[in-house]
Amino acid sequence: MTSLTTASTLSTEDISVWFGQRQVLSDVNLTFPGNKVTALIGPSGCGKSTFLRTLNRMHELIPGAGLSGSVFLDGEDIYGADFDAVSVRIKIGMVFQKPNPFPTMSIKDNILSGLRLSGRKIGNAEELVETSLRRASIWNEVKDRLNDQAISLSGGQQQRLCIARSLAMDPEVLLMDEPCSALDPGSTRRIEETIKELSSSMTIVIVTHNMQQAQRVSDQTAFFLADDNTPGGVVEFGATEQIFNGPIDQRTNDYVNGHFG
Amino acid sequence: MTKPAPVRRKLSAGPLSTGDKWFFRSTSIAAYFSFVLVALVLIFLFLKAWPALQEQGFEFVYGTKWVAEEGQPLIMQIGPMIWGSMLIALVGVLIATPMAISLAYMIVFMLGSRLAKVATTLIDLLAALPSVIIGLWGFYVFTPVAINWETTLHQYLGWIPLFKVENVDNAFRGSPFIAGWIVAVMIVPIVTSVTREIFSQLDKDLINGAIALGGSRLSVFRKVILPTSSGGVVGGVLLGLGRALGETVAIFYVLQISFDINWGQLLESHGGGVASWILARFGEASSGEISGLMAAGLVLFVITLIVNFIANTIVNRSQPWRKD
Amino acid sequence: MSFAPRPQVQPWKRANTSRRFQILLASVLPIAATALIVLFAGFDANLATISIFLPLQIIAAGLVGLKAFGRRGFGDAVLVVLTIFFSAFVLILLLSVFLSVLSEGSKAISLQFLTQNNVYISNTTSLEYGGVANAILGTLLIVGITTILAVPLGIAMAVYLTQSQSKLRGLVRTVTQALSGLPSVVSGLFVLSIIVTFGFSKSGIFGSLALFPLMLPTVARVAEEALKLVPSDLRLAALALGAPNYKAFFQVILPAAKSGLITALLLGLARVIGETAPLLLTVNVNNGTSWNPFNGPMETLPAYVYGYLSSSFVSAHQRAWGAGLILLVLVAVLFGLARYLGRAKSLKSKPTKQKASK
Repeated sequence: MTSLTTASTLSTEDISVWFGQRQVLSDVNLTFPGNKVTALIGPSGCGKSTFLRTLNRMHELIPGAGLSGSVFLDGEDIYGADFDAVSVRIKIGMVFQKPNPFPTMSIKDNILSGLRLSGRKIGNAEELVETSLRRASIWNEVKDRLNDQAISLSGGQQQRLCIARSLAMDPEVLLMDEPCSALDPGSTRRIEETIKELSSSMTIVIVTHNMQQAQRVSDQTAFFLADDNTPGGVVEFGATEQIFNGPIDQRTNDYVNGHFG
Repeated sequence: MTKPAPVRRKLSAGPLSTGDKWFFRSTSIAAYFSFVLVALVLIFLFLKAWPALQEQGFEFVYGTKWVAEEGQPLIMQIGPMIWGSMLIALVGVLIATPMAISLAYMIVFMLGSRLAKVATTLIDLLAALPSVIIGLWGFYVFTPVAINWETTLHQYLGWIPLFKVENVDNAFRGSPFIAGWIVAVMIVPIVTSVTREIFSQLDKDLINGAIALGGSRLSVFRKVILPTSSGGVVGGVLLGLGRALGETVAIFYVLQISFDINWGQLLESHGGGVASWILARFGEASSGEISGLMAAGLVLFVITLIVNFIANTIVNRSQPWRKD
Repeated sequence: MSFAPRPQVQPWKRANTSRRFQILLASVLPIAATALIVLFAGFDANLATISIFLPLQIIAAGLVGLKAFGRRGFGDAVLVVLTIFFSAFVLILLLSVFLSVLSEGSKAISLQFLTQNNVYISNTTSLEYGGVANAILGTLLIVGITTILAVPLGIAMAVYLTQSQSKLRGLVRTVTQALSGLPSVVSGLFVLSIIVTFGFSKSGIFGSLALFPLMLPTVARVAEEALKLVPSDLRLAALALGAPNYKAFFQVILPAAKSGLITALLLGLARVIGETAPLLLTVNVNNGTSWNPFNGPMETLPAYVYGYLSSSFVSAHQRAWGAGLILLVLVAVLFGLARYLGRAKSLKSKPTKQKASK
């Protein structure tokens, strides 16, 4: 796969996270290079989804949330004074676990909703809708019914619509929080193909519970773990190939081979 | 460990956009307006009530005389009306509670889901009926029926002080008994809906299963349903009590309002109620008496505030799933 | 009225012929005995229901239960009989209210009753003259102004309670709940005290103001429920797309909660449209037609009912019933619409089927 555009690099420095007084993550240092797909794996409750949400400042929407450390987008701290949450979220898009298209809008309006919501100009609407839907590989299925309600689509189509909705914003980075966990195998396969195609133009971070999926789509993998009553953290981080075939840490080995979690 | 303890960053430090500032500011103002409204009600009532309260002193609340005739000094003491409100509200609650619990039990544990929905809608509709219509019905349709019941109660149970009547010619019509029934009709919906919601949070399959296995309905009701839901039901009943205390027009129609205090002879033709008393007097009241009626309203408001506050606290505590 | 426990109780399902016969007997005998006593002994039917029918029914059902399951069966039978009896009782009360308003009120209803005002009409005027058009107009104007004031504010309160993360939310909710217990006569007195303090003269607008504190908590509560029904996912999705909170609300949450918010409006209307005491205290009655809620007296339906019921003439009472019927129809229509919208909403929010992609 050839890189057409050089996408931004995202990196974190000593990220620790609290909910109220409880610390749930400790000192996470990861780098997500441009045009690479990074998978975050680990058992439930290890803090990987929470970590993902710190990357585009969705974390701070939870009452009582706390954070230390920094997240850098091409060297600039997104929690710094130069950024506000809105401009961060425009640059770093997010796809959720459950498909959540806006139910009161048509397919077309869903695609344009990001620009409208963030108050930006829409140049050529028709063209933007088509490109976004094509990039999410759903154009052929919906091109004749762009004005239908979004909730008339199937679950898998809805999720690809949500991906297209994020793509319409032309983000530098796309965060995906278990995007296939609510979908059937057919839809999962199509979304994985989409992810691979997208990595040619952006940086992708994906949280997944599915080991095979991590192996299929990602270039590098981070394994998160939280021991009893201690904050979660990264146990091992490296090329996907190495994490799955020759992990250094015994706990990583146990996890990827299905011994726990 | 050489690293210092991590310093928490201030989150949501990103400046809110102007639009968001206005959005949150205006909704907050709307929300705080509820404080302002309660305060305004208290302040204005108090300002207008003050002359009467000052003149009548504490006796205003517990005294039993109301003289508002021209040429005589004003004496305004609301005692009998407060007692009357409480008496009627108590009778109403005593009648409404078994009905409400039965209805809730029926809806949750005995009816199929479709019938249950119909029954719930009917109860909600009953709640939406204006009190002037209940009053109309109470005056015309219910009073004759209730007089019938009262006559019989007096005939067979007259030896109980509650049902004793001094003079049959001055009894039955316009009695606190009838007013209590009218109030009961008006508060059954709210008690039912609170109770129903609490019942429906119980594990229905477990309860129906226990009954299906031959366990007794009565024992399940007494040992499983009541103990776990009694707190919430009490809260619902108190909410009903608060409504009953404030009921005005419906009671006004069916009750013979009189300042002779009626301690509890439910079938006698005289009783009282603060709200109905205000309605009965304000039309011909002098400005001095208006002040007394404002004071009566203030007392009524404070009483209902306290009852409602206790009720809501209990209900909220017994419905943790309503918290967000 | 049937007394037997519902068929969920498995043992009844297996009831053999003789037990079926007993159940039949136990449900027919008490009502037959009561009917006979009422018919031949001239006993009052109302009274007989409680003093003869209910005890007989409890005994009959109890005996069947006792025979089938021993003491436990007796207790259950009594519980079921009492539950059904009390529930049926409330149903009868409700039906009685409806039917009496319908039958008495319809006698007064005519085209002229709906279209004329009440000038030159006295308590003894025959029903061929005069009507409630002025009262309907007044009620709609006064309640309309209340709606314009209370609905935006109530929805804004609901938005605060659901969208903001302020620590004061609990307190706001408590105060709103307390406000919903405000006795209507106190609300009237409150506005009356404003009128007296500032030397205003009574008019329709003050009626609207007196209804406002009664409508506000209803709107706020129902609107809060409606906003809570919108999945939080949608708000997150909008924010993740870089939306400021207000745009997420107006473009995503508000459209999704629209029917629920209209329900809030309708239930708020139903709550205040029949309120009487506040209007009696703050608006002077008017036999003529007034289009001006800001000046002068104005007639309303509840005040009309109140006024004519206070008289002792039959024709006057029929006017009261007629106006009561119109009020009841208004409430029922508002309530029915609210329910209909509520149902349409729940149909729409059914999860879509997940089809495997082709």
